[in-house]
Amino acid sequence: MLFNSFYFLFFFIVVTVLYYTISYTKRWLLLLLSSCYFYMAFVPLYIFILGFTIVVDYVAGIYIEKAQGKRRKYFLVVSLIANIGILCIFKYYNFINDNFSFLLHGFGLSNPIPYLQILLPIGLSFHTFQAMSYTIEVYRGNQKAERHFGIYSLYVMFYPQLVAGPIERPQNLLKQFRQEHKFDSERVFEGLKIMVWGFFKKLVIADRLGIYVNGAYNNVEQQNGMTLLLATIFFSFQIYCDFSGYSDIAIGTARVMGFDLMTNFKRPIFAKSTGNFWKRWHISLSTWFKDYLYFPMGGSKVSVPRWYFNLMVVFLISGLWHGANWTYIIWGGINGFYLVFAIVTQKYRDKFNAFIHIDKFPRFFLFPQVLITFLLISFSRIFFRARTVEDALKIIKKILTFKGSVFNDGTGIILYSCFGIAFLVAVEFKREYYKGSFTLSNHPNFWVRNSYYSFLVILILLFGVFDGGQFIYFQF
Amino acid sequence: MATSFKKILTQKGYWYLIFKILAFLILFFILDFILGGFLGKLYFKQTSGWEYRTKYSIEDTRADILIFGASRAQQQYNPFFFEERLKQTCYNVGRDGEPFFYYYAIFKGILKRYTPKMIILDIENGVFRAEQTSYDRISVLLPFYKNHPEMRSVIKLKGPFEKYKLQSKVYPYNSMLFKILIGNAEFNKKRSIDINGYVPLSRALNEPTRSVNISQKYDLDANKLNLYQSFINECLKANIKLYIVCSPYYINLIGSDTSMTIAKNVAKSNSIQFFDFSKDDFFLKNPNLFDDTVHVNIEGAKIFSNKLIDSIILNSAYKN
Repeated sequence: MLFNSFYFLFFFIVVTVLYYTISYTKRWLLLLLSSCYFYMAFVPLYIFILGFTIVVDYVAGIYIEKAQGKRRKYFLVVSLIANIGILCIFKYYNFINDNFSFLLHGFGLSNPIPYLQILLPIGLSFHTFQAMSYTIEVYRGNQKAERHFGIYSLYVMFYPQLVAGPIERPQNLLKQFRQEHKFDSERVFEGLKIMVWGFFKKLVIADRLGIYVNGAYNNVEQQNGMTLLLATIFFSFQIYCDFSGYSDIAIGTARVMGFDLMTNFKRPIFAKSTGNFWKRWHISLSTWFKDYLYFPMGGSKVSVPRWYFNLMVVFLISGLWHGANWTYIIWGGINGFYLVFAIVTQKYRDKFNAFIHIDKFPRFFLFPQVLITFLLISFSRIFFRARTVEDALKIIKKILTFKGSVFNDGTGIILYSCFGIAFLVAVEFKREYYKGSFTLSNHPNFWVRNSYYSFLVILILLFGVFDGGQFIYFQF
Repeated sequence: MATSFKKILTQKGYWYLIFKILAFLILFFILDFILGGFLGKLYFKQTSGWEYRTKYSIEDTRADILIFGASRAQQQYNPFFFEERLKQTCYNVGRDGEPFFYYYAIFKGILKRYTPKMIILDIENGVFRAEQTSYDRISVLLPFYKNHPEMRSVIKLKGPFEKYKLQSKVYPYNSMLFKILIGNAEFNKKRSIDINGYVPLSRALNEPTRSVNISQKYDLDANKLNLYQSFINECLKANIKLYIVCSPYYINLIGSDTSMTIAKNVAKSNSIQFFDFSKDDFFLKNPNLFDDTVHVNIEGAKIFSNKLIDSIILNSAYKN
């Protein structure tokens, strides 16, 4: 069931009304059943895969807590193998096999191992990572093992964030299932407002940009450099609005029912450096990698070459997490390289910044900093969006010619896209730099506030793409 | 009264939420009503552009001969020659990229006002192919939902929630704002010539033909097939002379297309004349008559329109 469908709206209303009418001790059951229904609306059979990891991690959690010494580690390893194993089978098996075939082909051999004809379960990487964070936290002693099987299942399956995050931590989410969330109309309205903004980002901006981006990136041969350049810039906004739009709807949906999910985006389009970007983009995944991979490897408290190595490993794995394709791995590699390069050149950049007195005119230098970061991130996303590495290289080559005129199909797609981007940038700029002033969304006057949200809904109806399909991050 | 109103505003219970939602809905519907009404006025006041042609086809044309189809109708049939040689008024209601749903809905809208004497229906390969985009494209008909009940059955095919979305006055004009504004300016008239709905193309190809095998199987859309049959039935019922035509390609088509085979069989079983120019040798040997491989240019349209008129005259003479 897609968030951007009318089915979801009906589902959401029914579940929310039931949620507040039944006793709070039974709410976990309602949420669990509705989450099962939500997930099964995609491919019903895949609920069994989810069920398998839930059972393994639930049992592992209890045994990790009970066991002593090395046995605790064994149970953790069993849980991690089960989760990563499922990921490997469904997400990486064919990719590994494909590369193995390529290798054998180099020696003139053919690959006898068959390919699997399976669909990737929706949101697999998200709920697997959330499940792993539970057993790791139990192992570390930061979280008590959950004895209530239903509540543990709900932790993995909570429908607002089941298929595309935010990837929650047990310390934040599990306890909320036991709390009585009393009806609070302010919270409900606050949640609805977050949802409206999420729908705006998805329907008005992301799906509109998607039409242009898909047209360009799916027919690389037929496009000129300028069209591909515009499509690349559009893709940066598309993926942000698509994913943060999903996160907003998820956070808003949970908020309506009294739950607080973690913030996943902090206006990444205004990041001043690539390092700063990763503190604002997909925060729940960045912090997951930081807590469970980067720090255990030693983080920055190791020798300098090892530090670089740690950063590169984290970003390469992050790329692989996104998809079983070399394009994602290269994307991860480029972003890892940006960070390493930033550290290597830190001394020289500090000297240069002192020379140009950047501290005296911080606002003056803000625009070039934001622009350079945006261009660097957009460049890496060519690999993220391209279907193959060959396509990505062709795109870069064509863009660098700066030739041709921008493709315009006459349907006003560029105008609509620019309108959406301008609206987004204006709202986010205000939130980033002028928080609390010129506010419409939180205006003290009830009617002004309400008019703003009515206007947003009108804009969705007027400019929204209602046939846009699913969210980009569902495939991960 | 004022005290109890203030009390509601400061509460945090269900009543407060209901009050807020009601206030939101009132504001929303007022804004929707004003903006939707304004857009509706602008939409129906257009004087050029694609939306104008759709509106003109449904609400204004009274031509004796109507030409239906997608871009291959719009850009290949010049009404001037039909009027000159058949001594009847002619309008080309074809619209670029539109599927069979569009032709049928326009036909229903026209039939409600008057009965044309002749209809030429351009059919292309793959016309009955099942594809989601065909349903998405029904959106161009949304502005007519309210005042054209005869078109509603087609518009509702867009999706199960369409009739609910159409409670909004703004939604019918979704993604049309800029087109409507341009349609009210003189810009379109300067940009493209429109001769009774016909839009001429000017480039000339200079390349050899390529071969394409069109025998591959694909899923058929039952709705499109049903509407095709209904189109024929209603023409027969209204005593409209119907000619179904497949216009020329500059592609060496190998095999036969599933949709085209069905279209021919249905036409034959209803005794409707079907003219197939898709493998016409004359056009295949003259790339200079094409703008691209599937659309003839202005010169090609002149030759093709006259060839078709010859066939129609011959067919009428034979029948008489």
